[in-house]
Amino acid sequence: MSKTYVVPEDIKEANNLEAKLKHLNNIKKSFNVFRVDCGSCNGCEIEVFAAITPMWDPERLGFKLVASPRHADILLCSGPVTRQMYYPLLRAYEATPDPKVVVAIGACGSSGGIFHDAYSVWGGVDKIVPVDVYIPGCPPHPATIVYGLASALGILEQKLKFKEHKDGSNEAPIVEESLFGNLLFERDLLAESKRLMGYLFGRKLYEKYINALGKSKDVKDVKKTKEIISIYCDEEEDKRYQECMKTLHNNIYLKYVKRFSVVNDKEDRFQF
Amino acid sequence: MKLLDMTKKYGNATYGYPLEPYYVPEGFRGKPSYTYENCIGCTACGIACPSNAINVKLNEERTKLVWEFDAARCIFCGRCDEVCPTGAIVLSKEFETAVKFDKKDLIERGELDVAYCEVCNKPFTTKRLIAYDIERLKKVGWAEKTLEEKTKYIKTCPDCKRALTIEKISKYSKGV
Repeated sequence: MSKTYVVPEDIKEANNLEAKLKHLNNIKKSFNVFRVDCGSCNGCEIEVFAAITPMWDPERLGFKLVASPRHADILLCSGPVTRQMYYPLLRAYEATPDPKVVVAIGACGSSGGIFHDAYSVWGGVDKIVPVDVYIPGCPPHPATIVYGLASALGILEQKLKFKEHKDGSNEAPIVEESLFGNLLFERDLLAESKRLMGYLFGRKLYEKYINALGKSKDVKDVKKTKEIISIYCDEEEDKRYQECMKTLHNNIYLKYVKRFSVVNDKEDRFQF
Repeated sequence: MKLLDMTKKYGNATYGYPLEPYYVPEGFRGKPSYTYENCIGCTACGIACPSNAINVKLNEERTKLVWEFDAARCIFCGRCDEVCPTGAIVLSKEFETAVKFDKKDLIERGELDVAYCEVCNKPFTTKRLIAYDIERLKKVGWAEKTLEEKTKYIKTCPDCKRALTIEKISKYSKGV
């Protein structure tokens, strides 16, 4: 969209960094926040209200939600700024007494989020009014909101910095040794464990199974390996890991070990 | 007084944050952390990312592959973590992500050297990815000759692979 708001000179002058820092020094332990919903999905609103519950209690720092922008020191803007919310946002911005601090909350507020290239949004609060603090997250955790407001007030320091990595070597990252001398076994094992338990627990399952298999003196010996896997299964407290380790053994291990030794379908399989 | 006794019984529910550190629970999805040494530039994360927070593009001179992550757009879904084959990108427990004034602080960038196709000399992947592929192929346990063939195959771009396959097939089926 082409038409953008140009901040009037008097507001710009009254909002320079010096005035803001002086103002922050003045308000110290009492700051009133007005929340503007610029077409947000309400996720950020719920988290803002979660952040002002007794659990986090920002009121001990002086945080207070107010109902009118004329009472506010801080504008908390959420949402990607839809076409309909363009003028209401500007009215809220101009109604707030100078100097004011604008906080963009959520992924949508700070850059447009998943709506960044949609036709009906402006894609971020900073496209329209100057923003002082960005709080990313979809939605941000209450702790992130408290951190953002605390860093706006100068209680905490900013932790993130722009990072750039350059001129690394062209060597490959370390590839671990295969137990069978065939990496396809590990690949299939990881794929199957991800299929069984999802990517997060699947990786843990994979590590547990590989750890158990590594303890076997001869991986190609079917009977000894089964004994060791069953010992590890009994030690495991979580029933899901138990069953999935057995399933992995039946589906993947026995398929690969067939190349090296004879597999008896009844005896060597785990029975459920 | 009764009320005060009750509060004593149940303890303090309020977290000390921001005056004390706050520890997030197990399995918390925070800002994705990037390990440049492990990244091979396979662009799986860029394709999986639903909000285009991760962009993987060639630079203007077409000499480097630029991996760029914008935390402002990230929705912390963990799909990049799910698809990453080397564990270069993992969701960390970092929740203190707010920045002041400059949005550039939310960006992280990594550059990787581009590999060129051996047949048509067009950039198509990174050198690190090819090195990683060869390293893995060595551990599959194939014969030398097959390995050599596969290595050659890896170093050609998808378009040339297609052309070579068609050439091969037409050679065999000339008489038909």
